[in-house]
Amino acid sequence: MWRGLTPRETASLGIVLGCLAFLLALPPITARAPWWPALAGIPAVGAGIWAVTSGVKRLGWLAVAAGILGTALGVLATNTSSSNLDYVVSWTPLFTAMLAFATPLTFAAIGGMFSERSGVVNIGLEGMMLTGAFFAVLGADKLGNWALGLLCALIAGGVAALIHAFVSIHLRADQIVSGTAINFLALGVTGYFFIQVYGDQGVPGSIPRVPTVNLNAIDGIPLIGPVFGHLNLMIWLTFLTLIVSYVVMFRTPIGLRIRSVGEHPRAADTVGISVYKIRYAAVILSGMLAALGGAYLSIGFVGSFNENMTAGRGFIGLAALIFGNWRPFGAFAAALLFGFSTALSFRLAQPWGNAAVLFQALPYVLTLIAVAGVIGRSIPPAASGRPYRKQ
Amino acid sequence: MSSEPGGGNGDLDTPPPSEPLGADPTAYAPSVGERLAFYERAGGIVTPVITAVFAFFMGGLVVLATGHNPWKVYQGIFTGSGLNWFFHFGNFSITIPGTDHHVWFWWNTSIQNNAAYNLQQTLLLTTTLILTGLAVAFAFRCGLFNIGGQGQYLIGVITGLWIGTSLPHLARGPHILLAIVVASVCGAVWAAIAGLLKALTGAHEVITTIMLNWIAYWIGSYLFGQGGPLQNSTNASLPVSNTVVDSAKLPVFWGNPVLQGLHIGFFIAIGALVAFWFVLNRTTLGYEVRAVGFNPEAARYGGISVARNYVVAMAISGGFAGLAGVLDMLGYQYRFGVLDVQTSQLGFIGIAVALLGRNKAVGVALSALLFAALLYGTSSRSIDQTVLKPELAGNLTLMIQALVLLFVGADVLIIAVWRWRRRLLPGRLRRTQPAAGAD
Amino acid sequence: MDAAPVLELRGITKQFPGVLANDHVDFDLRRGEVHALLGENGAGKSTLMNILYGLYSADEGEIIVNGKTVAFSSPHDAIDQGIGMVHQHFMLIPVMTVTENIVLASEPTKGRVFLDYAGARKRVEEISQRFGFAIEPDARIQDITVGQQQRVEILKALYRDADILILDEPTAVLTPQEAAELFAILEGLVHEGMSIIFISHKLNEVLEIADRITVLRRGKRIDTIPREGATEASLARSMVGREVLLRVDKKPASPGATLMHVEDLRVFDDRRLEAVRGVSFDVRAGEIVGIAGVDGNGQTELIDALTGLRRPSGGRIEIEGHDLTNSNADAHLEAGLGHIPEDRQRRGLVLEFSLAENLVLHDYDKEPYSRFGTISPRRIVSRARRLLSDYDVRGGGPRTPAAALSGGNQQKVVVAREVSRNPRVLIAAQPTRGLDVGAIEFVHRQLVAERDTGRGVLLVSLELEEILSLSDRILVIYEGRIVGEFSPDVTEEELGIAMTGGGREEAAA
Repeated sequence: MWRGLTPRETASLGIVLGCLAFLLALPPITARAPWWPALAGIPAVGAGIWAVTSGVKRLGWLAVAAGILGTALGVLATNTSSSNLDYVVSWTPLFTAMLAFATPLTFAAIGGMFSERSGVVNIGLEGMMLTGAFFAVLGADKLGNWALGLLCALIAGGVAALIHAFVSIHLRADQIVSGTAINFLALGVTGYFFIQVYGDQGVPGSIPRVPTVNLNAIDGIPLIGPVFGHLNLMIWLTFLTLIVSYVVMFRTPIGLRIRSVGEHPRAADTVGISVYKIRYAAVILSGMLAALGGAYLSIGFVGSFNENMTAGRGFIGLAALIFGNWRPFGAFAAALLFGFSTALSFRLAQPWGNAAVLFQALPYVLTLIAVAGVIGRSIPPAASGRPYRKQ
Repeated sequence: MSSEPGGGNGDLDTPPPSEPLGADPTAYAPSVGERLAFYERAGGIVTPVITAVFAFFMGGLVVLATGHNPWKVYQGIFTGSGLNWFFHFGNFSITIPGTDHHVWFWWNTSIQNNAAYNLQQTLLLTTTLILTGLAVAFAFRCGLFNIGGQGQYLIGVITGLWIGTSLPHLARGPHILLAIVVASVCGAVWAAIAGLLKALTGAHEVITTIMLNWIAYWIGSYLFGQGGPLQNSTNASLPVSNTVVDSAKLPVFWGNPVLQGLHIGFFIAIGALVAFWFVLNRTTLGYEVRAVGFNPEAARYGGISVARNYVVAMAISGGFAGLAGVLDMLGYQYRFGVLDVQTSQLGFIGIAVALLGRNKAVGVALSALLFAALLYGTSSRSIDQTVLKPELAGNLTLMIQALVLLFVGADVLIIAVWRWRRRLLPGRLRRTQPAAGAD
Repeated sequence: MDAAPVLELRGITKQFPGVLANDHVDFDLRRGEVHALLGENGAGKSTLMNILYGLYSADEGEIIVNGKTVAFSSPHDAIDQGIGMVHQHFMLIPVMTVTENIVLASEPTKGRVFLDYAGARKRVEEISQRFGFAIEPDARIQDITVGQQQRVEILKALYRDADILILDEPTAVLTPQEAAELFAILEGLVHEGMSIIFISHKLNEVLEIADRITVLRRGKRIDTIPREGATEASLARSMVGREVLLRVDKKPASPGATLMHVEDLRVFDDRRLEAVRGVSFDVRAGEIVGIAGVDGNGQTELIDALTGLRRPSGGRIEIEGHDLTNSNADAHLEAGLGHIPEDRQRRGLVLEFSLAENLVLHDYDKEPYSRFGTISPRRIVSRARRLLSDYDVRGGGPRTPAAALSGGNQQKVVVAREVSRNPRVLIAAQPTRGLDVGAIEFVHRQLVAERDTGRGVLLVSLELEEILSLSDRILVIYEGRIVGEFSPDVTEEELGIAMTGGGREEAAA
């Protein structure tokens, strides 16, 4: 059977089979006999090994991993009580939660993509996101309108990014230190003004929030309907941002120039591209996007603001970017994966209790593995992180 | 337009150094060693002081802009931190421990003294910050950026608590020693993971240590959470660890142990400062670490293994941070909960401490004292509510920290100050200065 | 070929700190000609062309393009005047495709927003066909050969409507076949009306491709001659001839036992190409062996292998009978090798360390400087004091940071460190680069002294007079092979010819 397929295709098939091995044991199929997962999982491992020996290492090993993992999890699932399975693996709430969790991550990751692809490391995404979250609330509250709140978030995020840009590009400071400083600065500034403005009473309960988009027409379609029928506007905005950023980065001249500046600024300089201008623009854009992610969190999802409400999401966004190899759809896929694992950890809290918390560490473990090059090297833009001195 | 010749050796026909055709894809950030060397050459105490003053000034502007009096705020922080204790001279005495003899002392060490109490608390924090600062500083000396101090600290807390809350029948000395050793080693291992990844795969330590921070964060949340393995065995609804048993608590030498006095961990931290200095300047290991930090290529040409030094430097750094964690547990906190895991910042403040202190022992010590004073002076237990609300004050601290980092990260300030120095003291500066190593 | 000059440089002068790179140089280029600019390393060729391309500004002199005097403040202006340059180090982005690299910053668009990649590709194909290249427009730069990358650089200039093309040492990175292909392309370009300036130091190529040849030496224009009537010998003499030769007084050599034996050594460079292709030689006690060659012919990789910093892919290295082929740098140092590295600031010294600490770079972990892992600064400093006075190092004491010293004194420190370890074999790579006459003399005297005490010295240098004045035996390296062995009374012209690949009966393989 393998003879008809290229090694790459075989490996991909292996990955699919591995996933299938696990899925067979889950609702709605819920096969209860352990040899069903094995039936799909073992050929997956075989396909993976064959692909590796034919030279397709990354996908091949992924297929082997998928096969082993899928079989193991599938067998595990067949041994779990079906009521637990039904509760944990209810696809609709899982997918809805996954999308909701992934949205701020995606905004941060895409913002990070613009910055890093232009050659400026942006560790400060977390701080920019937090800034956006607070100023969205402040703006929506004081100006009475969620759109104005978003605008405030954009401006605030842009300002925070401007500081980072100035210090990193003009003053040629260490970009990591500068990014870390932005994180602390955002924490301090948002916390300070939050208490100053809302201190005793907290945020009023009725601030304008970003509306949900209700697509009642598709309610009847299984799975798609419930999941996509009532998503927040900003989640749709995420999809739009993804597409636009992909097109801009890879299909327009400006994207080409941004990438050239991040890969080989000297070469870009010699053909007349202004390295400084592009980097400034890219960093400020990254701040704005990260701020939008934070705004979703505060006026889209939660409806309020707490100190340090982003709680590391900016870093998960950075991890998603790295894991997705600095490409928008790759980062989105990673964000979905991380969002899924977070959603899963919340649902697992019921049967598993405390241990579900460990799932929250999954994004970081995966990124660690990716950076170490275990599943193929994750390569940043070549000139990322180096200040450019115009000669 | 360039008016400099091509290759740095005066060779005319080599083109100006350009970004190489295939810049090393694993080189994710500029050479920390180059910056490090610059800071050390810019030297002295002037620039850190100016940086700190500047940061405080900008913080004061924010305070002013929101309708508070910055001068009063900073005064309040100063008294709140207990540093004013040093300014009250008089005729007092202290008892030599273990005997009944009194010896004349010019400061009032009585435990009823309010300023003394504040100072003890500040020094408790100084202990921690010295160690987390050293964790960052040591790695920096090897050219590595260790942002993982927070995670390494948490690992030290976790493992220190694990030993400290068990084995109640162990004698005091061995129990404390065991906890300290285990926690430091575990912190070292946690950091060495990043070092190994860098040595073997070139993975950049900034990313790997950040990831490890968060992994430690969630491991801690799991372990101390409800039903977690290290969670309180008596009260199942409290997501906090057990309390450290009495036989593992560090002796308090100043202050009332019931009210959180200053424990001997303070001296351990001082000892760590000395050890830091000694290892870097008087051992072969330190020689290698410094050589790799300044110029990995020359070190390689000299026969030094750069990869090995990366791992060792990270391990030692992690050891310092782990030590910070266990000393806090055995010294005065005695327990840690999920909330503590998620709000702890002491590892991160170590970054500012190290950078402000220019990665040198004395600098780290003074810088740690400054940040500890700021932290405690703005805490709810000590700041005068009418001057500034403690929550606001806490955020002020964060802002000042951030400003310090921003200014430290930018060479321009240092260059500007350096040039200013030259103008003021031309004659003295012409002579050659002692080298970076002889410090 | 039209006789009207399409480009004229008059009286170009450029001063860098400490060195006069171009000294009132005149140069002109006629339409449709290939004009070669010939000279040794350091003659000023690249500087002159960088001025023409707008990367530097001349202190004095004029640039006249098509009869109009112009002033360039950046490569932009030069490009606008139709001048294109192919640098020695390519300005290409490895992960992007050929087309992307060529159209960068002048991209064709669809509706002013989208990149018209198909349109760009078509244009690139048009140009390459018109001028007779073969390239794959969708290949990534990192996946194509160096020769193809160079073609992309040429296409970049052609895409921007250049009619004057400057090529800086284009064959330095090419294999002989690729060089032949390049020449065919150049002929095609000339056919289409382009004028070409070809910078080189390789005599045989220059004679093959150029219509006229201008020789530069030490910043001055020596001569401009048409190709007919030029010979390798006459060119070599112009390139290299000089009035005063610095010769060191030395006794004749009496070489003894073989200290270092190298056999059929093969070494890959960073691009996985073979840089050293089967080199064999010996260094005996009491002799200085000089390796002469133009930069980029494998010397760097050879030294890296000999010092243990790069693993050879084949062959053997032995020092006093011990096989060190696969050992690391430390083992080589222990086995009796000393190394004065090429770049004293990047590789020889830790500039932030004190002189004392630098002097002990190899021995910091040995007695008497170290015991049980600790270092005794006192002993290190006192040894440093002794060495610094023995070697007459000026500019600071044992505690001075190395960065504070002048280049010459820094090199003295490196020499002091290496020589005082009493190595069996001392490898000196460009030991006098960037030094003043006094420091050069000092280093030369040290090397001869080493040889006289019975050590072996391997001198690798780009400076011919240094090789000639110091060596007892001279080997010439060209394209990774030893192509000749000479005695020190060989003439510079003969050496120059061998170094540039000429004078060999068999054609390039």
